[in-house]
Amino acid sequence: MSGAGGREPGTPDGAENDRRRSDPIRAGYRRLLALYPATFRARFESDLLQAFDDRRTEPRFTGTIGGVRLVFFLCRDFATSVPMTRERDRTRRSGGLMRDLMHDLRFSVRTLLKTPVFTAAAVTTLARGIGLYAATFSAVYGLLLSPLPGVEEPDELVLVYRHWPQIEYGSVSIPHYQDLRDRTADVFEHVSAWYFEPVSIASEGRSERTMAMVVSANFFQTFGAGPTLGRAFLPGVEDRDPGAHPVVVLSHGFWQTRFGGDPGVLGRTVTLNGHPFEIVGVAPEEFRGPVNFASPPLYAPLMMANVLTPAFDRIAARGNNNMNAVARLRDGATLERVGERLDVVLADLREEYPQHYQDQLGHTLVRQREAGIHPSFGEAQRSMSAVMMAVVGMLLLIACVNVANLFLARARDRRREMGIRLSMGASRGRIVRQLLTESLLFSVVAGAAGLALASVANGLLSSFRPPIDGPWAFNVQTNTTVLWFTATVSLAAGFVFGMAPALQSAKADTLGAIKGESSGKAGRSRASSALVVAQMALSLLLLVSSGLFLRSLQAATRIDPGFESPSNIAMVSADPGLQGYDEARSRAFWDRMLEEVTALPEVSAVGLATTAPLGLGSSDRFVEVPGYDYAENERNSFYYTEVSEGYFDAMGIGLVEGRVFSRADDADAARVMVVNERFVERFWPGQSALGQTVRTAGQEWEVIGVVETGKYNSLGEDPTEFMYFPLRQLFRADQVMVARSEGDPQAVLRRVRELVRTADPEMPVYDVRTMADHMGIALLPARLGSSVLGLFGLLGLTLAAVGIYGVMAYSVSQRKRELGIRVALGADRDSVLALVLREGMRMAVLGTVIGLAGALGAARLVRGLLYNASPLDPVAFSTVPLLLLAVAALAVYLPARRAARVDPIGALKSE
Amino acid sequence: MTRPDELDELLPLSPVTFHVLVAMADGPRHGYAIARDVEELTDGRIVMGPGTLYGSLQRMTAAGLITEAENPGEDGLHASRRRYYRMTPLGASALRAESERLLRAANVAQERLGS
Repeated sequence: MSGAGGREPGTPDGAENDRRRSDPIRAGYRRLLALYPATFRARFESDLLQAFDDRRTEPRFTGTIGGVRLVFFLCRDFATSVPMTRERDRTRRSGGLMRDLMHDLRFSVRTLLKTPVFTAAAVTTLARGIGLYAATFSAVYGLLLSPLPGVEEPDELVLVYRHWPQIEYGSVSIPHYQDLRDRTADVFEHVSAWYFEPVSIASEGRSERTMAMVVSANFFQTFGAGPTLGRAFLPGVEDRDPGAHPVVVLSHGFWQTRFGGDPGVLGRTVTLNGHPFEIVGVAPEEFRGPVNFASPPLYAPLMMANVLTPAFDRIAARGNNNMNAVARLRDGATLERVGERLDVVLADLREEYPQHYQDQLGHTLVRQREAGIHPSFGEAQRSMSAVMMAVVGMLLLIACVNVANLFLARARDRRREMGIRLSMGASRGRIVRQLLTESLLFSVVAGAAGLALASVANGLLSSFRPPIDGPWAFNVQTNTTVLWFTATVSLAAGFVFGMAPALQSAKADTLGAIKGESSGKAGRSRASSALVVAQMALSLLLLVSSGLFLRSLQAATRIDPGFESPSNIAMVSADPGLQGYDEARSRAFWDRMLEEVTALPEVSAVGLATTAPLGLGSSDRFVEVPGYDYAENERNSFYYTEVSEGYFDAMGIGLVEGRVFSRADDADAARVMVVNERFVERFWPGQSALGQTVRTAGQEWEVIGVVETGKYNSLGEDPTEFMYFPLRQLFRADQVMVARSEGDPQAVLRRVRELVRTADPEMPVYDVRTMADHMGIALLPARLGSSVLGLFGLLGLTLAAVGIYGVMAYSVSQRKRELGIRVALGADRDSVLALVLREGMRMAVLGTVIGLAGALGAARLVRGLLYNASPLDPVAFSTVPLLLLAVAALAVYLPARRAARVDPIGALKSE
Repeated sequence: MTRPDELDELLPLSPVTFHVLVAMADGPRHGYAIARDVEELTDGRIVMGPGTLYGSLQRMTAAGLITEAENPGEDGLHASRRRYYRMTPLGASALRAESERLLRAANVAQERLGS
């Protein structure tokens, strides 16, 4: 094997060699060197292995993720270099190769175009498999494997977390971060920190609420992301003197969308939470922030934290852990050394601030490249993606086998052609090459189509936005790695299915082939029948599950959420607190809004609430009811919201007993509350709740009204206790305003926005939508479930249909003579048709039965996600199998019709 | 075959060939060092795996641009069993001719852009 004799690495450093020997990637690589021509291998084998070893020690190729990256890297390398090294051999051997190749190509194009239906079926089958695989891979790569875009030497970045009992990945506080930064200079080049902060941004008369990123002054230096325009923050200057640096760096995207990429933006002012900040720089385009799922519009220095959120002193609070620390390793520093250093730092801090550090166990270090979305998802995110990759890999494999079946069926039809070409003196090698060219050409086309599909899917994925306002930006894009990956997969697929029929065709004994003899192999066709049955079962399972989600969506729209006609309720949120309003000004602002919106002619009722039902936020508090003792483990904390007068009318929540809040229930009045019917059943069954007392939030509250029980956290929930407190007695500045419109709710939303702008042009409003749209949040799991499963199921269905078609077509072409004899002996065409149909449908029915059994099992698993729909929903369980059988019948009918048209004379003559 | 003809046939050099020659311009290098150097020269745009590296080196050797060389006395890890390459005189003139060609082209471009 090794022609280079003494150059084979292997004499000194035994430990290193042991490690190499146990490296499976190296072993695989060594085996794959056989792809190179013998002369090249003989000359360079040891050099190639040496170069491999050198690469393997690079930080980007070490560890598990590095290993995966290395494999892709090597695949690319093979794809470029194997043709490069072979070309020399070939051109030396025959000058006519190029001509042959062109001829093969032209011939292949013609053949594929001659049978458009076959080509289209095969191309779309493979394209779907490849497209799905590439899309899934892109998502996995973007979120788990790829380095952060626009970051220098990403392998040197390390995330630092505080390790507590039960908490492995704890955040850091500002003082703790500063100590880390100042005491680890021997192992870290930079230590930076960041956190997301909701802010209202106003500039040039426009305002919006978004998430800004508050970062340490050396943030951009740590990531090696030098600004496109202006400057980054100044370490040593802007990390001192809290409150003295009202400056911001814009993200490239925000600079483009908000300022049209105007280079004169430097020195201009934006207002953050009511405070002016000067724009000093623009971050580079590629850099999208320190996480791969969101991209902040702008960055503000850490020393301004207390200005942005004056509520408490973040900068001094050592116990307020809410930041993420990320550090850049010094050259040559290992995680081990860093760990030792941090242990020393922690021991020192423990002495200096015992109360803050006595519980901390240590620090957790994670390489940024290996963190994925968040390291605490650790194995889960990796195994989830492994499962996804396995499922789509299986679908791709099924697609390949199906296409192989199609090709096999056609190879039978072409045996004659092959036989004639062989007898005319064509070499077997030449014929195999022709067929391979054909299938490779085909797989290139399919690969391209697959890639197009994948980029559409990726576009959808990266523009996916959770229904919560935020600077979401999922790092999912069809990048070069994905491109190469897809190319490799599709070429490999082409090879896999191209090879088998090609060899079989060329092996054909000349005479038999010309005569049209068949050499049936029952085993193979039984295997493909089993495959078809499995496909049918799998796609039935997926489609039934998807159907269940769809039915559940239907059912959800019939659930009574406890308020009336949600599509007529307009919702607008605002937070005057973020604009720097104090309580009195906030109260005045909301009073003015209530008054002005009530005056709108198209609005019949208006109210405020701290949280709207069926959103993502909910609060609960401990409750004591005189005369009621909680059993052990009984829930004693209940959901609540603060609402203004008018809220119940605006939402259309029905009053059962007593009264709702009025304007008179203010801070000076007696403490009152409203509860729902479920609350009454719990604490005062069979009695009137009016006049009862509840102790909570440090005060006593008198129940003055009872309302109907609705849905609060999800549409599927069981009846839940709920409490309402008057906003005027428990004030909060951030409110959602709900207005019942008697006309077009969109018009109301526009009017409300205008009113807010008139009151304060810089007040950002957010979550502007109708209640019906807001409820979409509650329906999100069902929507996602039904569309993802539906997509996979439809894909499975088409694959199964093509599979059945392929197998039946193959079987018909194999039995042509038998069928011919039947016809010759007097069987009429209908009975031949029925014969073939029966055979095909047997597979379909068997698959359906198995699939139904599986779907019953799966239905149990998804039950928790269904609203009011039975997991044994008769509609889903009957429509889907019928649909599937109908598709299968069509797929069987086409070859069956061909069988019925068998020309008995021709079939018999071929003997 | 006269030298200018031979050169004409070689030019323009492919980016890989060009950068590999640049990597060897100041002395012999072993394979992996060439790959790392090219990576650095091109800001990571050209990353050569083992096969691409030695495939290119083999081609360039066959074209007479480079040739195998003695270890220039480096004693790093495994230095003794690494294969070293150096530029041939033909390689040097090809590199010179190519860089002049690129320079001329770049000058024209700059002029027309008016910078």
